[in-house]
Amino acid sequence: MAILKPILYILVYPGLIFLMVYSTFCEWFDRKLYARMQNRIGPLHTGRSGILQPVADIIKLFAKEDIVPEKADKHMFSALPVFALAIICTTALYLPLWHYSEAPSFISFPGDLIVVAYLLTLPTLIYFLAGWHSNNYFSAIGGVRVLTMLFGYEIPLLLALLSPAVLADSWRILEIARFFQDKPLLMLVNLIGFFIAVIALQAKLERVPFDIPHAETEIVGGQLTEYSGKKLAFFRLLGDIEMVVGAGLIAAVFMGGFPGGLLPGLAWFILKTLFIIFLLAAMRAATSRIRIDQMINFSWRWLAPLAVLQLFIVIIIKGMVS
Amino acid sequence: MEFKVSLGPQHPALHEAVSLRMTLEGEIIRDADLKLGYSHRGIEKLAEERTFTQNIYLTERICGICSHSHTTCFVQGVEQLMELIPARRGLYIRTLIAELERVHSHLLWLGVAGQEAGFESFFMYTWRDREVVMDILDWITGNRVHYAMNTFGGVRRDIDELQKKKILDSLDLLTKRTEYYLKIGANEPTFVGRLAGVGKLSREDAIALCAVGPTLRASGVPMDVRKDDPYAVYNEIPFEVCTADSCDVLGRAVVRVKELIQSYKMIEFLLKNLPDGPFKVKAPRKVKPNEVYSRYEAPRGENVHYIKSNGSDKPERLKVRAPTLANYTATIKMLKNGFIADIPLIFAAIDPCICCAERLVQLDNPRSGESKVLSFSQLRTMANDHYKKVNLLKKEAVWPF
Amino acid sequence: MNNKIVPFLPELLRHLFKKPATVKYPFEKEAVPEGFRGNVVCDAAKCIGCMICVNDCPAEAIDIIRVSETEKKFKMILHNDRCIHCAQCVDSCPTKAYHMDAEYETAAFSRHDLKIEYK
Repeated sequence: MAILKPILYILVYPGLIFLMVYSTFCEWFDRKLYARMQNRIGPLHTGRSGILQPVADIIKLFAKEDIVPEKADKHMFSALPVFALAIICTTALYLPLWHYSEAPSFISFPGDLIVVAYLLTLPTLIYFLAGWHSNNYFSAIGGVRVLTMLFGYEIPLLLALLSPAVLADSWRILEIARFFQDKPLLMLVNLIGFFIAVIALQAKLERVPFDIPHAETEIVGGQLTEYSGKKLAFFRLLGDIEMVVGAGLIAAVFMGGFPGGLLPGLAWFILKTLFIIFLLAAMRAATSRIRIDQMINFSWRWLAPLAVLQLFIVIIIKGMVS
Repeated sequence: MEFKVSLGPQHPALHEAVSLRMTLEGEIIRDADLKLGYSHRGIEKLAEERTFTQNIYLTERICGICSHSHTTCFVQGVEQLMELIPARRGLYIRTLIAELERVHSHLLWLGVAGQEAGFESFFMYTWRDREVVMDILDWITGNRVHYAMNTFGGVRRDIDELQKKKILDSLDLLTKRTEYYLKIGANEPTFVGRLAGVGKLSREDAIALCAVGPTLRASGVPMDVRKDDPYAVYNEIPFEVCTADSCDVLGRAVVRVKELIQSYKMIEFLLKNLPDGPFKVKAPRKVKPNEVYSRYEAPRGENVHYIKSNGSDKPERLKVRAPTLANYTATIKMLKNGFIADIPLIFAAIDPCICCAERLVQLDNPRSGESKVLSFSQLRTMANDHYKKVNLLKKEAVWPF
Repeated sequence: MNNKIVPFLPELLRHLFKKPATVKYPFEKEAVPEGFRGNVVCDAAKCIGCMICVNDCPAEAIDIIRVSETEKKFKMILHNDRCIHCAQCVDSCPTKAYHMDAEYETAAFSRHDLKIEYK
């Protein structure tokens, strides 16, 4: 029984199956919102109001021919999508989205915030490697842009995640969430940090205005130019799951987590992640893609100083509260 | 490290087949070159085998977006050859369609600029509102794209009071929306950041490289065929030539939006002052031997047709200089020392219509100076031999050149 | 109100609950305007065989064939795969034998299916 339980966690909830189902739903939600904001309909025909469209897209990709370019590094090229998906699914296990009161999330430990931030960086690195090993100029440019952007948004994101941790005096996501549940008013202190984190998440997910690495009108598919079929499907799933995990992390750290046991916890999780996805979709709709130099300028001129400011505010408030 | 990247002939940023060869140094373009000839259609040769009436519909198909521009340019040239004075009401309606076409073309361009910059919402909204003017065109001409409105001596359809009223009603909406887009385009920081200072073309360069249309006017040169050499009834309509001094893509966008607002005013004027009388006069079928050079300000710039007649009902020669061709040299200049990210924007800013500008060039052998004619089967064998050679070399070849 | 940071956002949020502008085309069809140039329809009884339409057709889509040796009777074959729907034949015909209908869904699996004969 003791072994069965973790397997169940990994495979069913909050592991693979839940993630796949929920991330495809999130993609549908994002696409539908994006379409409605543009006065379009969005996905319509697959399932009820197109809810199965992302699933259909992925099934279609799985059925397509899988091409490995002659000049590409074959082993790396094939292994990277699987690695990326595995990493992001592991990260999802750290989200404290269930039986909250007594037993914590089954792999939660003090300091897991750092681990999650670290694991969230790895898919970016894999994107770079994917671009590099495709042996294509567009992919290489895309890969280099991925890394350049990483230097822009990663530090503001870490600083933004730091401030609630400082306020709650813990590096454990679970305890940060619990702290904000006890003192919900203190959530307002982190408002700047919250928005910085959402913007940095948008950059991490490579969506407009930060879809610079795979800007289709400039460098075709960027780091994923050479990918097709199953491997591209893996990368698409990776993007969807990354969105869920990123939104879940921000919800857990800034918005008080998902209290109340299995089912209320799930309900909170869905509510809060959908809210963040709504913000992401609105940001995607309201802006145009910026250039890589503008992106780096923006993150170092605005995001990083604001994140530091947020940290100062938190330290002052912490002094006042305790 | 410098390396070469080829954008196109198939590329998401390009709507038609053209190849941009870039020499890059990191993200910066050091050298640019354009390779044409992927979508040659032989329209000029075809025109020599058709009658003048048939050629109206052929010239219409040179371009999908400025279909009325090419027919008007052709028709007014042939009218001059025929020594025919077209009906005044017909000329007014012709000008009206021309301005409606300018509206739809510029709204289309705004959307394309948004799309190339990754601003999808802007693209969706401008194209949604473009449907208004498309519907008007559909309603008064019978088709959304190929209006087939021109004929020698006037136009083919009249406009009634109901249509007049509907167009005037739609103009209010269009004016409001265009002003809104001007506001968005000038205020959205990410969008302005992408357009401003990109693709610089100084006033001197613009003149030296023979740029035309909004590309030229955005460099501060107030040159517009409608003003300089008025055709149809442009000498009777009050309007301003819109220019901008910023010499960049933002300037080109601003010029187009200003022209939209001018076009709305012109449409209103044309509809309110539509003269009574016949909308077409009868035209002869045969044309006396002569030649003519016809100019027209298409939405993309100056469009030129040269027509030579030989006394029959077919032209001896039709030469079309589409505005895109005039802007290519300026594009190369604009691309140099820019970012890769700006390639689609700079290229889209001239509003390229590649098919319109594709012409066959006969190359003589540079050594012996002799030219030769190849049959289709010879060309086929040549192509097969070439690809056999390429296949053999494939293993050693360094991608992509 | 001159919002300078995200000026497009109010418009986007306003449209979130509005009816989309998209027409669900194959399921909902919009009426075409009056005077729309659809397919060419010929009233072969009116045809006098002057061949003006054949000469004027830019796409060479019209064939007029004399049916009987003695009477002035003609049949018209429209190659709709070549037709460009310019309606020049409607303008050229001296006896007004042509008109355009409002059909706009003219796709077919084979170009031979598109040949229409009017007797």
